[in-house]
Amino acid sequence: MQKRSDATGVLPLLSQWWSVFAVNGPISVPEFWVVSSAGAPRLLSPRRPLLSRARLCRTANGSGPAHHRSRTYHSYDHPAPAGPFNEAEEAILVAAYRQVPEHGFSPEALAIGAREAGYLDISTNLLADGPFSLIRWHLVKQREALAARKTVLFPDGATSNNKPVSVSAKVEALTWERLLGNVDIVGRWQEALAIMAQPSYVPESLKELATLADEILFLAGDVAVDPTWYTKRASLSAIYVGADLFMTTDQSPGFQHTRMFLRRRLTEATDVGNAAGSVWEWVSFTASAGINMLRSKGMRI
Amino acid sequence: MATAAARPAVLLRRVAALRRGAAAACPEHVQLSRSFSSAARQAQSQSQRASATNPDYAIPDPSRPTHFGFETVTEAEKRERVAGVFTNVAESYDHMNDMMSFGWHRVWKDHFVSSLNPGFSPLTSGPDPRAPQHILDIAGGTGDIAFRMLHTAHAVNGNPDVRVTISDINPAMLSVGKQRSRTLPASQQAALSFVEANAEDLTKTKPLGMSLSPTTPTSSPVTNSTTATSGIPDNSVDLYTVAFGIRNFSNIPAALREAYRVLKPGGVFACLEFSKADKYPILNALYKEWSFRAIPLIGQLVAGDRDSYQYLVESIERFPSQEEFRDMIVDAGFVVSGANGGYEDLTGGVAAIHKGMKPRDA
Repeated sequence: MQKRSDATGVLPLLSQWWSVFAVNGPISVPEFWVVSSAGAPRLLSPRRPLLSRARLCRTANGSGPAHHRSRTYHSYDHPAPAGPFNEAEEAILVAAYRQVPEHGFSPEALAIGAREAGYLDISTNLLADGPFSLIRWHLVKQREALAARKTVLFPDGATSNNKPVSVSAKVEALTWERLLGNVDIVGRWQEALAIMAQPSYVPESLKELATLADEILFLAGDVAVDPTWYTKRASLSAIYVGADLFMTTDQSPGFQHTRMFLRRRLTEATDVGNAAGSVWEWVSFTASAGINMLRSKGMRI
Repeated sequence: MATAAARPAVLLRRVAALRRGAAAACPEHVQLSRSFSSAARQAQSQSQRASATNPDYAIPDPSRPTHFGFETVTEAEKRERVAGVFTNVAESYDHMNDMMSFGWHRVWKDHFVSSLNPGFSPLTSGPDPRAPQHILDIAGGTGDIAFRMLHTAHAVNGNPDVRVTISDINPAMLSVGKQRSRTLPASQQAALSFVEANAEDLTKTKPLGMSLSPTTPTSSPVTNSTTATSGIPDNSVDLYTVAFGIRNFSNIPAALREAYRVLKPGGVFACLEFSKADKYPILNALYKEWSFRAIPLIGQLVAGDRDSYQYLVESIERFPSQEEFRDMIVDAGFVVSGANGGYEDLTGGVAAIHKGMKPRDA
């Protein structure tokens, strides 16, 4: 078991090159206060730091009536975009989703779902991407469910042994919670991953993965707006994908092996992050000391 | 070399000038497109509106100006002239399609039909849940879409309970389709019917009849109102398709509302039509060159009819963009997919598939 999990674990490690879950990393900014035009201080959201203001505004305002707009970061300043599903689509998808354990993420599930929702077999044409719509439905609904689970997992002021729960512990708990969302359909999840890997659906799938990583870090209370904003999300995405794949073949009761796998990956990520941080600290100290030494010798640098 | 390079620019300027001129001569056109987009937002929130409240522009009016290629004509005149075009090209239509699109129209049509997947109806435990499907193929003259539909439904999905009605305003095109259908398996021929109808008013249809014989004068039974059948009733169609036809309609909003009327709640409107490739400027420039220079020339050489093919390319140019047409579909009461904005681009937008569903609580 140990051997297999380590073989799978190479994947997430590939994308880790920088401080990851070291909450007190060298340049992480815990909070960021600005004074708004009204004069009251307000908390800037941990949105994507390199995005310009203009881009933010454009992305936040939808123009088409039905077009699906999604954003891969949280914002307190801009309203959330409308969901990707309209009323009729939801009705069909809710019914079709119940068919997934039996029929998989397939046109059959959609057609039977449409029938149950009182539509015709042909009505599934409303869902532009066919079975992928059903997968997207699963991903979006499970992600949205995390926000509600957060209050259960970490009630306000909750402490374990009178110590606040650390961000990395929250990340682990939330990621595990999200993986548990796959339990009902885990027997069909490999099919779904195969569909998501089809070239035309890859961008949409990756976007959804990025949104999930952002959601988890946001709910865990990570507010850094430095370059680790990107590395944290990238490494969490990679770890999530690894654990997601691992889970599809996990036969252990209660998916305990998946949980252990997830823990190991997150610990590794933190270790690599710490190591990278230490190396960087040593390099920068040595470099500045060397420059100062040269300056003290009269060199003009 | 310099003149050769300058020509496309001159041509595009000419096209733009013609469009401006036509728009100025036809103020309704501008006004309409504005009201579509504002109405579309309302329609999206309410998701449904009573079809009884048809706006004026969706009621056919023979004297209202519309466009015929780059010309401005009345709706009645457009109907006649479109009829003339398609009567002229009916015989050579299929060869010309192949030559003009390098056979690519077959790929589009195959994709259109396979994405609609007619006749797909999974069995469940208990009594057979499958219901018969009725497909209405509007402007389906030569049967390209209808024959593919039947093949997918009967042969691929093994569902013989699917019948297709081919409707076209032009008996010449229908008779070509009728002729071609003779090569189909008997079971598929039995599931086909041909009717002559105006897509803006499907309450009056005429079965393709005596006009087939070339010796019959055109003024006889077909135009005789006593032979007209009852037409297509409300809520009777599962799938309404129109491929490369809707841009020739005199009044597109009226046709969309008629589609809404005949479809069952949950029924699907699907349209395959030329569209705008503006997102890819190089592809678009090549495509415009090909359509404005080569296609009329091919028409002249192969079919001996330059004007009809000049009209075809001009009508493509005048057809609304993907978003505008999507808003027209929403305005007629249909629900469109939220995920892709209600349309799918083919070949970078040279053609596009639009789909809409009639909501259940209609």
